[in-house]
Amino acid sequence: MSPDTGEALITASHLSKKYKDVTALDDVSFTISDGITGILGENGAGKSTAIKIFLGLIPPTSGTAMVLGQDVSKSIDIRSRVGYMPEHDCLPTQVSASEFLTHMAELSGLPPRAARVRAADTLRHTGLFEERYRAIGGYSTGMKQRVKLGQALVHDPAFVFLDEPTAGLDPVGREEMLDLVRKTHRDFGISVLFSSHLMSDVERTCDRIIVLQGGHLAESGEVGQFTRETESVFIEVDSNRDELMRVLEQRGVAVTPEGTGLTVKGSERIYDEVRDAVVEAKAPLRRMAPQRRALTELFEKEHA
Amino acid sequence: MTAAGTVFDIGYQSYTGEREGRKRSITAVYKDGIRIALGLGRGPRAKALPFFFLAVLSLVGLVMAIIAGAANKMGGAGTAEQMNLPTHSDYYGIASMIMFVFAAVVAPELLCRDRREGTINLYLVRPLTGAHYLAGRWLAFLTVMLIATWVPQTILFLGLSAGDLDPVRYLTQHWLDVPKFLAAGVVMAVYSTTIALLVASATTRRAYAAVFLVGLFAITTPFTVGAAEEMHGTVGQWISMFSLTNIPLHVSDMIFNKTSAPTEEAPARQLGSAVLLGWYFLWTFGMGAILWFRYRRIKP
Repeated sequence: MSPDTGEALITASHLSKKYKDVTALDDVSFTISDGITGILGENGAGKSTAIKIFLGLIPPTSGTAMVLGQDVSKSIDIRSRVGYMPEHDCLPTQVSASEFLTHMAELSGLPPRAARVRAADTLRHTGLFEERYRAIGGYSTGMKQRVKLGQALVHDPAFVFLDEPTAGLDPVGREEMLDLVRKTHRDFGISVLFSSHLMSDVERTCDRIIVLQGGHLAESGEVGQFTRETESVFIEVDSNRDELMRVLEQRGVAVTPEGTGLTVKGSERIYDEVRDAVVEAKAPLRRMAPQRRALTELFEKEHA
Repeated sequence: MTAAGTVFDIGYQSYTGEREGRKRSITAVYKDGIRIALGLGRGPRAKALPFFFLAVLSLVGLVMAIIAGAANKMGGAGTAEQMNLPTHSDYYGIASMIMFVFAAVVAPELLCRDRREGTINLYLVRPLTGAHYLAGRWLAFLTVMLIATWVPQTILFLGLSAGDLDPVRYLTQHWLDVPKFLAAGVVMAVYSTTIALLVASATTRRAYAAVFLVGLFAITTPFTVGAAEEMHGTVGQWISMFSLTNIPLHVSDMIFNKTSAPTEEAPARQLGSAVLLGWYFLWTFGMGAILWFRYRRIKP
């Protein structure tokens, strides 16, 4: 694993992109350093535009995009050091995973012998080694996603862009893919920009997030900063919930029913109040836990 | 010393070797293009069509050589030449339609599938542009077309030499046929490669491109011949210029300094060599420019 040096691998500096009447990105600035960074945003928020600019596929209208210290609008050679896993289908059906990854490694500039070795290694790391000589057309969705990840990693990039890597996967496949994403940074030392609509995936996988909203940078920072504990406690009891709510209100505690439980607001002393109220209301306590913010709240906040 | 059968996971190994850059990328596109065109590394069905056409084209050359050899055996040395039996200058005229159908059926596979399956998106995020990708694919199919034009001519040349009663005399008298059929082969291959890939660039379906191309080649010749006969004079000559199969054959005729069967009666011949040559370059470079422009702008 490469150490987290804090050095910027990707820098967007006053980045704007306009398509005729539509502004896809508007004066966006951020940096991405070593680790797994999630990029969140609804459709049209500017995620894909940002990724395309970083890959040097489209030029920005203004501002600069630096990847691994190079201005991507000046040279496409930097692409030999970055990987990209697209969201949509992009795999040939007739060739084997082994042949395909070898070809992709050569396309990134690796000599043929090294490309073959890297393809075999990458297929082993992505869990496709046993199936490597089968035509990709016969693979399951999960296996195809692994091939897509494999082609992004086969040339040992320093940075990889993953666009919705869990799209179309069942819960087990999704878990395995998220494990692979974590492994990509933890074991392979490759930094990741992970674009997703699924908040839970980003919350569980990423170290940092960037939130784009309508082409603007809405939020950015450590994931923990957005999911830190709130000053609320969630309580679940087996019975007498309404009695417990009445007792808490009598004690001057702000309480709101939520599903089968109750949410109470307050600082550290609230735990003592809840304990005493539970005894008084004779409500068998099943669960009491501090509440954390979810990333979904970010979007709710932006919408508001 | 480790116990037999012990497997070690050595973990992830970073690549520290050489990165050869864009030259390697374009070479990879080229190699892959040849494999696709000939069905190499794929199932028997992928190999069937290209190798069938290559076999038929070679067979045409072989049969021409056998007939010439038989004539010489029966009538004595030089009989085949006296009888004016078809030889190198006639081969492209005889086999041109098979070559064009070969290009129509095989070339679209090099471009259509990548766009239909979305693989083009993975090429374009590598250190190469759409124009580099196209250059690799174009060179790959040109190589295949050169095989399709040169191999049968080589078989014909070797067959004619072996079938002659005095092979050494034949070789010394006819060695200049070799550069001529190589040059004419380049003319045929460049033209058919460019037109076939241009049509392939307009669709993601190989079948549509193949049918359209075969139709284009099959229809333009009889149509232009018929129309040229109706409209005499310069108009007829210019209509005759639009026979797509004859455009490279006129240049081939210039190289051999002899007309082939399809061009012998074509009114376009009367327009002169310079016009015919210019027309060939106009079509080839024009189509090539449109093709390049389409891929230069392509984005994932």
